Amino acid sequence: MENSSRRKFLGLCLGGVAAAATGAVIYPVYQYLAPQAGSSSEKKVVIPEKDVPEGEAKFFEFAGASAVLIRTRQGGLIALSAVCTHLGCIVQWEKNKQEFLCPCHGGLYTAEGTVISGPPPKPLAKLPFTVENGNITIG
Amino acid sequence: MTLLKRMYDWIDVRLGARELVDKELFGYLLPRNINVWYSMGSILLFIFAFQVVTGILLLIFYVPDSEKAFGSVTHIMNNVPFGWLIRMCHVVGSNMMVLVLLFHMISVLFMGSYKRPRELNWLTGFIIFNLVMGISLTGYLLPWSQLSFWATTVATNSVGTIPVIGQYLVEFLRGGKLVGPATLGRFYALHVAVIPLTIAALVGLHLFLLERIGVSTPPFGLKDTKNNWQSDKFRYEGHPDGIPFFPNYALQDMTSIAVYLAFFLAIVFFDPYLFFPKDAFIAANPYQTPAHIKPEWYFLANYQTLKIFPSEFLGLAVQGVAMTFLALLPFIDRGNERHPLKRPLFMACSVGGILLWIGLMIWGHYS
Ligand code: FES
Repeated sequence: MENSSRRKFLGLCLGGVAAAATGAVIYPVYQYLAPQAGSSSEKKVVIPEKDVPEGEAKFFEFAGASAVLIRTRQGGLIALSAVCTHLGCIVQWEKNKQEFLCPCHGGLYTAEGTVISGPPPKPLAKLPFTVENGNITIG
Repeated sequence: MTLLKRMYDWIDVRLGARELVDKELFGYLLPRNINVWYSMGSILLFIFAFQVVTGILLLIFYVPDSEKAFGSVTHIMNNVPFGWLIRMCHVVGSNMMVLVLLFHMISVLFMGSYKRPRELNWLTGFIIFNLVMGISLTGYLLPWSQLSFWATTVATNSVGTIPVIGQYLVEFLRGGKLVGPATLGRFYALHVAVIPLTIAALVGLHLFLLERIGVSTPPFGLKDTKNNWQSDKFRYEGHPDGIPFFPNYALQDMTSIAVYLAFFLAIVFFDPYLFFPKDAFIAANPYQTPAHIKPEWYFLANYQTLKIFPSEFLGLAVQGVAMTFLALLPFIDRGNERHPLKRPLFMACSVGGILLWIGLMIWGHYS
């Protein structure tokens, strides 16, 4: 009886030590592999107004993903996420038609990001921006 | 518990797992007078696995490009969480691998375990030893520090003393006239793919031979220490009245690994830069040779030998002869006696050889 309880106690100690050792190995390895904070920070992006002439689009990185800034033929500015809402490809700006085309499965969006045709279920996400002294600040 | 048992039953019915365990673990009997030196191989297996794991982790952030390699290693050390730990484990582990390998070989030497019928065990082990030196040498270049660059320059240069083909061989090793981006590319391929795969295959062969021939009996504590092998036909050397591998010797293996880990972690945490001269922290500069470039400790004896001979070729040839002699030792030393104290000539030569090696190493360090 005494022997078996000692055996149990030692077994528990051994298990505890083993668990602690496993934790001490897994924790650093997990930290090493985990995506690093700061690599996709929510920093604001500043683009000079003259970089986006009428009817053109400018692609850039925002919050770790692709985004696009367009000036329509009428002169209005629009900032959108460039990530297609279907399966995440990056949309292309069709300058002639003033539309976005997703090359993956042919999703078509207007310049405002509303779906015209194809599989995308939702419009492209709009991004907030401000214009000041010839600079466009997104975010 | 019953779930575990049912899973085991499921496997047992299909693979005969119980029979395998009974035969290979409980039924695998080892000589009664087996000692702690027989666990060096298990420690080495552990270290090798550990190097593979830390190496794969380092591959995630390392960039094998001469422009970026040093920066990527610095990034691992300074920015990646626990990157320093992973790298230090890999560096210290490589040194410990060589050290434990030397212990393994020396114990095999003194216990006469390399003798018939185990010539092939020795030979495969000796090749693994050379490959481990090779993997250390190629890995040394990868951080692309001043130390890496110039140590590799010196090491590859020594091949050039071979007559006729030497100069071409140096260029072939380097992929160019000098150590440069081309050298990094080939050393990288050797270090992460070619040599580790070859080592793994040879370790497999080494273990197969061990299993097939049977474990040798240590010569200590016995009246008869002769080698009684007969060469008429194959016989498995069993130990019918021995102790089981599991749990008895497995416990010794675990203990040895734990003791090893204690030493290993003590270095990693208390003296991590033990194996780092300061040139290891400066990016490689092909236009500026630092003063006192020295190889790793286990190459110091080779380095010093090259220096003391009047001609470099002679220095290289002596080392070639010594290594060939060691590789072929079981075919040269064919005596039946296995106890080291009953082999005076062997004792004198091996102790002398080890002292010479250590002496050259110290000389090389201070010269
Ligand atoms: S991912 Fe854009 S249409 Fe499918």
